[in-house]
Amino acid sequence: MMEKVISGNDAVALAVKLSRVKVTGIYPITPQTYIIESLSEMKDRGELETEIIRVESEHSAMAATFGAAAAGVRAYTATASQGLLYMHEMVWWVAGSRIPVVMTVGTRAVGPPWNIWNEHTDFMSERDSGWIMAFASTPQEAMDLSIMAFRITEDERVFLPMMVGMDGFILSHTKTRVYVPSQEEVDSYLPPRRQPYVLDPEDPIAMGNMFSPEDYMKLRESIHRAQIASKEVIVEAGKEYMKRVVPIGSYSTLNESYKLEDADYAVVVMGAWSLDAMQAVDELRKEWLKVGVYRIRFVRPWAEEEVVKALKDKSVLVLDRSVSFGRGGQLYTEVKASLPDADIKGVITGLGGVSIGKNEMKAIIRKFVERPQGIEWFYPKEVGKIELRSPRYIK
Amino acid sequence: MSLNYQLFPISKPAKGAGGKTGNWRIVRPLVHEDKCVGCKACYIWCPEGTIIIKDGKVAVDYEYCKGCGVCSNVCPAKAIEMVSES
Repeated sequence: MMEKVISGNDAVALAVKLSRVKVTGIYPITPQTYIIESLSEMKDRGELETEIIRVESEHSAMAATFGAAAAGVRAYTATASQGLLYMHEMVWWVAGSRIPVVMTVGTRAVGPPWNIWNEHTDFMSERDSGWIMAFASTPQEAMDLSIMAFRITEDERVFLPMMVGMDGFILSHTKTRVYVPSQEEVDSYLPPRRQPYVLDPEDPIAMGNMFSPEDYMKLRESIHRAQIASKEVIVEAGKEYMKRVVPIGSYSTLNESYKLEDADYAVVVMGAWSLDAMQAVDELRKEWLKVGVYRIRFVRPWAEEEVVKALKDKSVLVLDRSVSFGRGGQLYTEVKASLPDADIKGVITGLGGVSIGKNEMKAIIRKFVERPQGIEWFYPKEVGKIELRSPRYIK
Repeated sequence: MSLNYQLFPISKPAKGAGGKTGNWRIVRPLVHEDKCVGCKACYIWCPEGTIIIKDGKVAVDYEYCKGCGVCSNVCPAKAIEMVSES
């Protein structure tokens, strides 16, 4: 293990290299482009034994990655925003086929209007696809989860693909200290590739064929049960990771609690701004406000038992960096479903790169404590010029 | 923990009763083994997968052959003759 000052994108590229990924289907989209550039440079220098397939779209990137994985090798791709939306069909195809694939999503707003900055709507829009979905809060965690992802997806109890979310620019481009494990450490952690079936001309099988309604439904139930079974696998993989690879993580649970034991108020967050929330909580505690942070690391599988245990008997504020139009924040609805009788409020903010730091977090939490009916949408600044036109009636 | 819940969406290819020719075929391919050079062009081109390779020579699975004549057309050795069913 060695320390390096690298960005989230660099950290993920190193994780891909250390996991001995054999095929990557690549297509550039901001802000994850640097991952595939970094992988291409590594290959050029002869450090990486990966077949890099350059394709013409994200849909093809996932198709190429899926094909390689079905043929029996570790396969990886990365995307963001419109790219993930363009890939959407193949994302479902991979999960439904039960083939382990790992993907990084450098989260970014979805247009129109065009916006390259961070939010979580693109990532959250794949919530029901069957993928295991983890979200990192630091470049270190992005790397750790990417390595763990191969072990989790290739477990016989799971056999589902996994995506690792990483806040666009905030994590993908910010350089920070990362502990990079050695190749020997990762080799001792990752077992040889396993998957439920493989493309083999000597033993032909039909994939992607039509199933009768009852059989189809049975396969859907199988995905659901594999998601639930993966909770146990994730915890095992996390504990083993801390023992063999990077000892500084905290991966013995799916989600993470911060100063929640004695708290009256809990703030639920996901991603890089969890750290801003933790700093805000530290300062608010000096004002004798008993508040803690609950950080969601896994959206799927949803850690129902952990959420209920951590948040029961508390006033809960869920911060969403994504929105389900006409309904509210996705994390809010998930938390509310776990604790239907609890006092839960939701705030949607930080969309399209709106900057939410420690001070804004403090303002949101203070408002929540003082005026607990909650605020639904929070803007840290005056909203500037947005040109609104009256509707044009067509005669 | 039991893994009974793990089901995967694949199937093994097999010939089904639905693909059988029945009695409507009017011509059938007849392979002249003495002319067959074993190039397997008919095997590659047969749209129904009814060409069987036996000891380097070809035979036809008449249960599924539709009598389309593609094999006869692509055979470079003119070893497959289409003959009337009657």
